[in-house]
Amino acid sequence: MSMMLLAQACATGITNGLIYALVGLGMAVIFKGSRLINAMHGELAVVGAATAVYCVEIAMWPTWLAVTMGMLIAMVLSTLVDIGLVRRLFNRNAREESFLLLTVGLGFTFSAAVLYVFGREEHLLPAFGDEIYEVAGAIIREQTIWIVGIAAFILIGLKLFYKYTDFGLAMMAASIDPDGAATTGINVRLMRTATFALGGLMAAVAGLLVTPMIGVSYQMGPILTLKGFAAAVLGGLTNPLGALVGGITIGLLESLSIVYISSGLKDAVALSVLIVIMILVPDGILGRSGRKGG
Amino acid sequence: MLTVSNLTAGYGVPNILQGLDITVRPGEMVGLVGANGAGKTTLVRVLAGLLPARGGSITINGSDTTNVPAHARPKLGLAIVLENRNLFGELTVAENLRLAERAGANRPKKFDIPRIVEMFPAVGEKMAVRCDLLSGGQQQMVAIARALLLQPDVVIMDEPSTGLAPKVVKAILEVLRGLCSEGMSIVLIEQNIGIASSVTQRAYVLSTGRIVHHVADGGWPAFLHDPHLVSRYLGQH
Ligand SMILES: Nc1ncnc2c1ncn2[C@@H]1O[C@H](COP(=O)(O)OP(=O)(O)OP(=O)(O)O)[C@@H](O)[C@H]1O
Ligand SMILES: [Mg+2]
Repeated sequence: MSMMLLAQACATGITNGLIYALVGLGMAVIFKGSRLINAMHGELAVVGAATAVYCVEIAMWPTWLAVTMGMLIAMVLSTLVDIGLVRRLFNRNAREESFLLLTVGLGFTFSAAVLYVFGREEHLLPAFGDEIYEVAGAIIREQTIWIVGIAAFILIGLKLFYKYTDFGLAMMAASIDPDGAATTGINVRLMRTATFALGGLMAAVAGLLVTPMIGVSYQMGPILTLKGFAAAVLGGLTNPLGALVGGITIGLLESLSIVYISSGLKDAVALSVLIVIMILVPDGILGRSGRKGG
Repeated sequence: MLTVSNLTAGYGVPNILQGLDITVRPGEMVGLVGANGAGKTTLVRVLAGLLPARGGSITINGSDTTNVPAHARPKLGLAIVLENRNLFGELTVAENLRLAERAGANRPKKFDIPRIVEMFPAVGEKMAVRCDLLSGGQQQMVAIARALLLQPDVVIMDEPSTGLAPKVVKAILEVLRGLCSEGMSIVLIEQNIGIASSVTQRAYVLSTGRIVHHVADGGWPAFLHDPHLVSRYLGQH
């Protein structure tokens, strides 16, 4: 019985961890391309998921179309934030704290908008499939398989994108040294906008994957941002693989503390252990060599 | 061919550059000398498009470049090696060069990686190494290599000799001289008058944002032997 419980906790932990990893990956993408911490990332995930829910429940669209729409809206929103606000701050040589304040404020704005449109309830999306599997005594839903598959796809895709495409390389170059990039023919502003578009898309994917399991609600953003950010920082912030390792670590810590300590304390336990890990390995779990990423 | 006329620019209220006129013809290596704070780097940033011109004009190969954005200038034949080299430190040498190759892809091809490696063997040996792990001299060579892969007609270099061993400086200058004989225009910004006079044909002397003297072709010996001029404009003897 307790082995089964452990197996179930691990399965749940890994599933949730992958979601945190996806949120963290999106934040890492934005950090990599703009050196900004995007504190509204969780809210972008919520907006993407809420849009899809709206399209399914109210507009009666087929799920695939609703999901596409969710990704599109989050992407467009993130892009507009860059063009309309971030770019202006950059032009005025704003410092890091201004950008942080901007994205924190926008996060609140977006969740207020979702509250206004949807109310306080949680909304579920239809799962991508209904099969249920049993592995080592743990119940695994088909949605979990989808999450694992899509997370793996995105992780590998990002790695290839940054390493082998000129566009991905230019995106990194533009954030590493904007002056050096501009004199090398790279349109720095355009690269930053592309970064925000990609980050918005990734936020929406995370939100859309989790919504069939726990339901989306207006106040879900900050905790997603926090855990995604923790996952990314734990992994070294610029390394996609690091976010994966970090996310799964957090997910497992959480679900194991539900089993062995108390469900009310799961966030406290998970985040405290994180703090300890950060003190012990300040460059992230994968160490300094893991920091480059790409 | 680079033409700068009556160029003004600055950061705050008073202009730093107070109306500069500079012409560099194909195949020329022209010096720009001046003491610390004379405005050399400010001029480079305006030429690069990183700092807007407030007045006057910049023309490259006959087309007005004054208001062209920085990233579009390499397409017109301009390459800049900035004072701080500005390599992408977290990327490898090969990746730094690849980005430049891509930006220069639509221009007549004069340089490719094999030629760069022939010119700077040290660059060839470090292709897979992150740029922030290179020595100062190696970084300077990568920065020059990156500029050349833009396939430029005009190259502007902001104090490439700073912090480098004399041997390395000599090697780099040798390469630059070779490029000029192929018709490239080079503007060499230098504080070290010894280096400037040994390698450039003529030079502009910049002091507090103005061209205060022009060392004409063949005029270096006379300039160097006039201690009054040298100490007045360059603060050195
Ligand atoms: N970002 C800036 N903001 C305000 N003033 C600046 C800035 N950069 C340079 N200046 C001022 O412009 C003037 C010219 O500086 P510049 O860097 O062009 O000199 P330089 O000739 O390149 O000097 P050096 O030989 O030391 O590199 C200086 O008085 C400097 O204080
Ligand atoms: Mg300077």
